[in-house]
Amino acid sequence: MPKINLKKLKIEAKKGIKKARDLKSLNEVFNRYLGKRQGELVRILRSLEKLPKRKRAKIGEEANKLKDFIKQKIEVKAEKMRLIEASPEKTEWLDVTIPGKKPLLGHLHPLTQVKRKTEEIFENMGFSVVEGPEIETEWYNFDALNIPKDHPARDVWDTFWLKNNRVKLLLRTHTSPVQVRYMEKNNPPLRIIVPGRVFRREATDASHEINFYHLEGLMIDKDISAANFKAIIQDFYREFFGKPLKIRFIPSFFPFVEPGFQVDISCLNCQGRGCSACQQSGWLEMMGAGMVHPNVLKNSGLNPKFWQGFAFGMGIERLVMMKYKINDIRLFYGGDLRFLKQF
Amino acid sequence: MNFSYNWLQSFFKKKLPKPEKLAELLTMHSFEVAEVKKFNRDWILDIDILPNRGPDSFSCLGIAREISTLTGFKYIADKYELKEDKGIKARDFINVEVRDKTACSRYTARVITEVKVGFSPKWMRERLEACGLKPINNIVDVANYVMLETGQPLHAFDGEKLQDRKIIVRFAKEGEKIITLDEERYRLEKEMLVITDAKKPVAIAGIKGGKPPEIDLKTKIVVLESANFNPRVIRRASKRIDLKTDASWRFEHGIDPNLTEFAINRATLLIQEIAGGRIAQGLIDFYPGKVFPKRVKLDLDYVTSLLGIKISHQEIIAILKSLGFKIKHLKSKIIEVEVPTFRLDVSIPEDLIEEIGRIHGYQEIPAQFPVAALIPPKRNLDIFWENLSGGILKEAGFTEAYNYSFISEKDREIFRYSKRELMEVENPTSLDFQYLRPSLIPNLLKNIEKNFRDFAEIKIFELGKIFHHPKTEKKVLSGVMSGEVFYETKGTIDLLLNKLGVSNIWFDEYRPKPGENKLSIWQPKKCAEIKINHEKIGFLGEISPKILDSLKVAIKVSAFDIDFEKLSKLTSEEHEYRPISRFPSAVRDIAILVPREVKVAQVLNKIYDTGKKLVRDVDLFDIYEGGELPAGKKNLAFHIIYQAEDRTMTSEEIDGLQKKIISALEKNRTWQVRQ
Repeated sequence: MPKINLKKLKIEAKKGIKKARDLKSLNEVFNRYLGKRQGELVRILRSLEKLPKRKRAKIGEEANKLKDFIKQKIEVKAEKMRLIEASPEKTEWLDVTIPGKKPLLGHLHPLTQVKRKTEEIFENMGFSVVEGPEIETEWYNFDALNIPKDHPARDVWDTFWLKNNRVKLLLRTHTSPVQVRYMEKNNPPLRIIVPGRVFRREATDASHEINFYHLEGLMIDKDISAANFKAIIQDFYREFFGKPLKIRFIPSFFPFVEPGFQVDISCLNCQGRGCSACQQSGWLEMMGAGMVHPNVLKNSGLNPKFWQGFAFGMGIERLVMMKYKINDIRLFYGGDLRFLKQF
Repeated sequence: MNFSYNWLQSFFKKKLPKPEKLAELLTMHSFEVAEVKKFNRDWILDIDILPNRGPDSFSCLGIAREISTLTGFKYIADKYELKEDKGIKARDFINVEVRDKTACSRYTARVITEVKVGFSPKWMRERLEACGLKPINNIVDVANYVMLETGQPLHAFDGEKLQDRKIIVRFAKEGEKIITLDEERYRLEKEMLVITDAKKPVAIAGIKGGKPPEIDLKTKIVVLESANFNPRVIRRASKRIDLKTDASWRFEHGIDPNLTEFAINRATLLIQEIAGGRIAQGLIDFYPGKVFPKRVKLDLDYVTSLLGIKISHQEIIAILKSLGFKIKHLKSKIIEVEVPTFRLDVSIPEDLIEEIGRIHGYQEIPAQFPVAALIPPKRNLDIFWENLSGGILKEAGFTEAYNYSFISEKDREIFRYSKRELMEVENPTSLDFQYLRPSLIPNLLKNIEKNFRDFAEIKIFELGKIFHHPKTEKKVLSGVMSGEVFYETKGTIDLLLNKLGVSNIWFDEYRPKPGENKLSIWQPKKCAEIKINHEKIGFLGEISPKILDSLKVAIKVSAFDIDFEKLSKLTSEEHEYRPISRFPSAVRDIAILVPREVKVAQVLNKIYDTGKKLVRDVDLFDIYEGGELPAGKKNLAFHIIYQAEDRTMTSEEIDGLQKKIISALEKNRTWQVRQ
């Protein structure tokens, strides 16, 4: 018959209850002391039969007290635990580090986005947006723009010609024909930009495509000068790139303007100090421009004695490529969603 | 074009600025210098001469003139004094006959006898090589050298090999043949200008010399040609035979006819210096219409007005003079400018203003906003609707693509377009781009092919021009969606058109007219016409499996195709808010068993027609066929939403209306409402 040490049992049980971290381990404590079969106290109570009656009554009483004590302690602790475990902070738990589920989003083509931005900037400066046909006649694409037949100047514009037509038709090589079309129908003063798709018969590579986008601009009034153009185009680029930059004109030749300029901006990368992006020159070539040639005004039905102005033309792809640091123009027309979904 | 720095220096007594510095000067005021590179003890300047300046600047002399203006240094332009041998006369050696003075406005020739053909001196070979030409022999090298120096192409014949001592300039006879110096054989055509002797062509005028009268080591008599040919004639021939030479390139840009004499004298002198020999007396010169300098009037106020910068009259005059122009004052603010004949590009006041502007410096032009009337820009509605549509589709999860405006011959076959309906490119760059696209769908399907392995769900749209024979172009809006998603596509169209303010949209079964081939793209019976009122504005449906198969698209695809020009006429920005009723709505369900071929729209119309304004909405929530249903029947289930705008409907009223609808539906004996 082992010695019954209820004091020790009480201390142990208290320790056990204190140590229990959750309902399960608390339950284990309960079973160990109060379990119907193997519980220590049950065993003690059962073994009392063998003791003398007086002793039995005394120990029995103490054991039952202890039993109630443990029961109550466990009950209190269990209640606390139930409350904790039932609280939403514990049960409704989310792993916030799991990646979120994204809804299927649509994307506008980067050319659309940049085209819209350029239109917005010019519209704010009073330019109307005008469009024209992609199939053109030789007259509007070349002759009216002072680019005569059999002239080496035409070599600059490698042209796609169309078959089987009584009138010789071509795919416009620039949006400049719209200048003439617009001036034929509208009287100055006028301010327009002409965005649109143009075509060149060229071998494609990272910087050449057979179709691409142009933005043409035209301003005609009584007294419009190259200085006016410089202000407008400088403002456009500053607005577009969102940073201060410088403009320079260098001599160039386009048959439909005189004088003609090439417009450069100070390198966005190095602010004109010279880097690999600008081949150490500090400048980036952006577009061609100039003062509208009197022959173009005449061909459009305007009298060059009364009207003068500037015209310019830039590639939209170039703007997009600079803005997003894209190095291959062919990506725009490849229809690859891995590219398109980045914008 | 490559220029030797040392050669340019030889025109000046003063030391030129360093190559890099010189390049910058030229770039800012004349022509962009693409590159400066070291070449032995020389530097090569690669100068992009502007095409209109070819006539005066495709030469060292021309660039030297520019440098002289930019630096203020005087350049040395010698007059070459020849020592002709009075004992021999040029006309005894050669007889020149020009048959077309428009094609050949000037022809000068000289004769040098008793020359010794051999290598040219080292300095000359070095300069030729610096400019990218291969030295051949002292006679040919001199001709090339003088061309580089002056811009005037020259040609040397062996005088003894010219039949009957004749030179004739005429158009070729159709089919005439020539073997050129590089041993290429050309068949000539009527519009090509040739140089012939008494018998045969000896050169393609202005393009390439012929083999027969070639200068060789035995050559004793040299006949030098320095002529001026019509730029268009040379350009056409050069394109026709696909042969571009240093000479043809210069001729097609135009050359001052007054240059021939200066150049031939320079070359003759050089030949004598280098190869010895005697210069026969007399310059043979056919020059029926001498070219004199042009005169241009210039209003000095216009200079200020066009450039937007005030340049003093003295400076304007100094600039023009430094470029070789002569000035005559007329009135205080108007001058008359005499343009040297080598400046073929200058003929109007604006040309002079360009000269003044660039030499003064475009960088000096200030940025100054125009003073202009405050006219608001005209709103471009086409672009407005385009932007709006793109935005709606983007919100609906579509990604925008830009495809080529072309399709291939193979595409034409797959989509069964007839050649007659397409616009064909006369000179395509490859077979992939042979026709202008008659629809956006072919290339959009290729986009699907490109992407379907990487993306589970694809929705792509494009807005662009399509083309049809003979010359129509039309803006269309098309889209493709992956999967068997006819109804999603249809829902997208509904959404798009509603947002564009279009009402009365409906979808009609496609009934092909004879000869229409739409069905080769679309899956028959799974496609529909999109109509607004009675106008057809587009098409939608599933793409035929055959097409998908040919394009190797291994998934199902639905698509839509909308005539955007028609659509944008029907759109409206007006959008009226419909008041939300303050009174509660009630929902009753109805299930109806109808024959399979009955369309949902028929049932819906019946419900709306009977319920009128009190039926606010009808929702189809289930379509079921098969199972325990009788064969040939389907069950349609609807929620009908009842609501009045001015009162709460009582349940008796609703039940009564519901009964009315049921009996209206059951008037059709094959329809059976199940309650």
